[in-house]
Amino acid sequence: MPIASLRNCTKRYPGVVALSGASFAVEAGEVRALLGKNGAGKSTLIRMLTGAEAPDEGEVLINGEPLMQSGSLRAAESFGRGVRVVYQELSLVPGMSIAENLFLGRWPTGGGVIRSKEMEAQTRRALGLLGLDLAPSRLVETLSSAERQLVEIARVLLGEPKLVILDEPTSSLAAAEADKVIEAVQRIAERGIGVVYVSHRMDEIRRIARSATIVRDGRIIDTVDVGSADTREIVRLMLGTEAENAASPVSVARERTVLGVEGLALSPKLENVSFDLREGEVLGIAGLLGSGRTELLQAIMGIRHPEAGVIRVDGVEVGRPDFRAMVHRGFGYTPENRKDDGIIPLLGVDENAVASDFGKVESAGILSAPKIRAAAEAVIQRLHVKTPRSDTPIGTLSGGNQQKVVIGRWVHADSRILLLDEPTRGVDVEAKAQIYAIIRQLAAEGRSIIFVSSEVEELPLVCDRVAVLRDGRLREEFHTPNIDQDALMAACIDAH
Amino acid sequence: MPVETGGVAAPAASRSRRFSQHMNELSLFAAIVVLYVVFGSMADGFLSFNNQINILRDAATIGIAAWAATLIIIAGEIDVSVGPMVAFISVALAYMLQGGIPTPLAFVAAILVGAALGSIAGVLRAYFDVPSFVATLGLWSALRGTALFVTDALPVSIGRNDIVDALDRSVFGIPPAAIVMLVLFAIFAFVSRKTAFGRSVFAIGGNAQAAYLSGIPVARIRVALFAIGGAMAAVSGILLLSRLGSGNATAASGLEFDVIAAVVVGGTALSGGRGSMLGTLLGVLVITLIGNGLVLLGINPFFQQVVRGVIIVVAVLANIQAIKRSRA
Repeated sequence: MPIASLRNCTKRYPGVVALSGASFAVEAGEVRALLGKNGAGKSTLIRMLTGAEAPDEGEVLINGEPLMQSGSLRAAESFGRGVRVVYQELSLVPGMSIAENLFLGRWPTGGGVIRSKEMEAQTRRALGLLGLDLAPSRLVETLSSAERQLVEIARVLLGEPKLVILDEPTSSLAAAEADKVIEAVQRIAERGIGVVYVSHRMDEIRRIARSATIVRDGRIIDTVDVGSADTREIVRLMLGTEAENAASPVSVARERTVLGVEGLALSPKLENVSFDLREGEVLGIAGLLGSGRTELLQAIMGIRHPEAGVIRVDGVEVGRPDFRAMVHRGFGYTPENRKDDGIIPLLGVDENAVASDFGKVESAGILSAPKIRAAAEAVIQRLHVKTPRSDTPIGTLSGGNQQKVVIGRWVHADSRILLLDEPTRGVDVEAKAQIYAIIRQLAAEGRSIIFVSSEVEELPLVCDRVAVLRDGRLREEFHTPNIDQDALMAACIDAH
Repeated sequence: MPVETGGVAAPAASRSRRFSQHMNELSLFAAIVVLYVVFGSMADGFLSFNNQINILRDAATIGIAAWAATLIIIAGEIDVSVGPMVAFISVALAYMLQGGIPTPLAFVAAILVGAALGSIAGVLRAYFDVPSFVATLGLWSALRGTALFVTDALPVSIGRNDIVDALDRSVFGIPPAAIVMLVLFAIFAFVSRKTAFGRSVFAIGGNAQAAYLSGIPVARIRVALFAIGGAMAAVSGILLLSRLGSGNATAASGLEFDVIAAVVVGGTALSGGRGSMLGTLLGVLVITLIGNGLVLLGINPFFQQVVRGVIIVVAVLANIQAIKRSRA
């Protein structure tokens, strides 16, 4: 009897069918990989199992009994039957001990006093199950990121878990660190606990899972035997057959190299990264979450300081990159996390756009309102920003429009080398298409662009060339018009 | 929420938005009117010309420091060193004048010393990540201590000095301190709205990481802010010296809290990113009016502090409610 199963579950959200007639079952002691690109329906499937949401049709069975409750009681019901989730974002309190974190908010007390002996004993047991020898009194802030992830896993082992769901537990870890997590998952399964393992790293999946379920467009496409299926086959199932390549861009890249990177190393993510970027070229960097894409851009911009490597701009070596100095050299950078690092929500579109170069909108050191308006209008028009007024607070715009302003900031500053980290993340379809067009237009003007993306579908639409970042190095390279989604995805997830 | 505003709704929405932008200033203005009506009808002599001049002079003590504090708080920082800085500068200036340094030169030196001392806190904050509260708390203690130590808590007399005396003589009935305050207000209001420096301050307070990634020199601006804070405290110190005729290590006690109260009553968010100079001007007036009116009402000085505390909290509370309601 499966420990958890979905029977013909359908879940609709306004405008989308997130899950459509899905049936799925996990046995005790089994590790089941769950594969699918972003938005395929993996998260919805997980929310069905945890009772965070109820299906519109169909039923969810845990231990052979259907979940009956609705609302917040449903999650409690599922939890009570032993379903636990480890999420990808870490949720530990750094200044507290491992034991305190494990029991966060549920500390065992006697007469209002926390019984630390008992708490530490239970913590030691939970850590032992994962093969970890850490003192329960150690503060979480002294742990490595792999150890923190393991503490997160240990947290779900308290009580009597029946099914443990891990959502990309290794995405923030380097390959060597990830091994510890994989071993821990194997130990969990050996104890007869069912495991649902979401990851895109095929080498990991091959090591711990026997079968993989592939989700696409809200449907369970297939459950394959990991041992006999090859990576290309799995990629084909993930992307579907409809993925015929749309019109490839026409390269306008010139011969002149504007940026050269050689032997860049930034432990633990980047080992030895080398590439050239030419004038007017759009270079895509593909790679999984956590493959070091962001670190690469930040090292070039001087936000992080690499341990080794040479960066050349126009053939001249940059001594020690410093963010503002790189901006003066003509670089622009849009961060991956738009809300936290990109926008200043209370300020208007205009001030967000001109912040990269106030000098352009000053007369004699004083900001000129007409110049600001003109500069903001120019950005708004060129990048098709939808905003009621040029001084509307940027926090009130949609994500796509915010992103256009963040890119427009560097257009205002006349940057000639743009480093865009996931510019289409959290952006609607129409805005995505507009951002692609904007990037091509900027390239046509002779600007050089590095376009980082984890969505392999969009890279062939925008890039002249795509390099795949995996295990700290740029592995394979694809040139337009021969950038093939399937090959790209296979290069991202496979480690041989 | 995504904004896809059509042509019809936009004008009304933006009008109410502009109204809500000024809701803060409007409600403060209303509070000032209420204070005038209450004190005017209850306290004898509150409305007299002389008392109005007194209010202006008292306002200058808080106001000059409050202009700089507004920028510091908008940038998401805090400066609690104001009172001791004012007292320290007045003492240092008194010694300089005693030592025969020409008065204008001594003034310039005092302002530079204030800026240098302030920038210590700025450097600690910007380059060493010491929280600005702690950095300025250190200054607060060290400056007060130094001033008391060297003077033995006794006033440092400067004797006759024409320039210093002139600073305390009214021009057409208006005290120079008030004029200095208003001129500085105009400069700060202008800088905060119309210069790259001023807008960068808002950007840093709104999202420091995004400001840095836009190429704004965040660290340098933070140092500059605390240097300006020190310089403005020095200006207050000069005016204090002219008013008392001596440098005084025990003066301006608790001024920093009046300054912060004025800025906060003026609607500037302690979390940074939001605030206005006009709001602070009105906040300074509210704080000063309360102090002045309570004295004239003859309320027990200990109890005055209670009333003042309650009024400050109620003013901020009413302001927050008014802004919330106008947004809803």
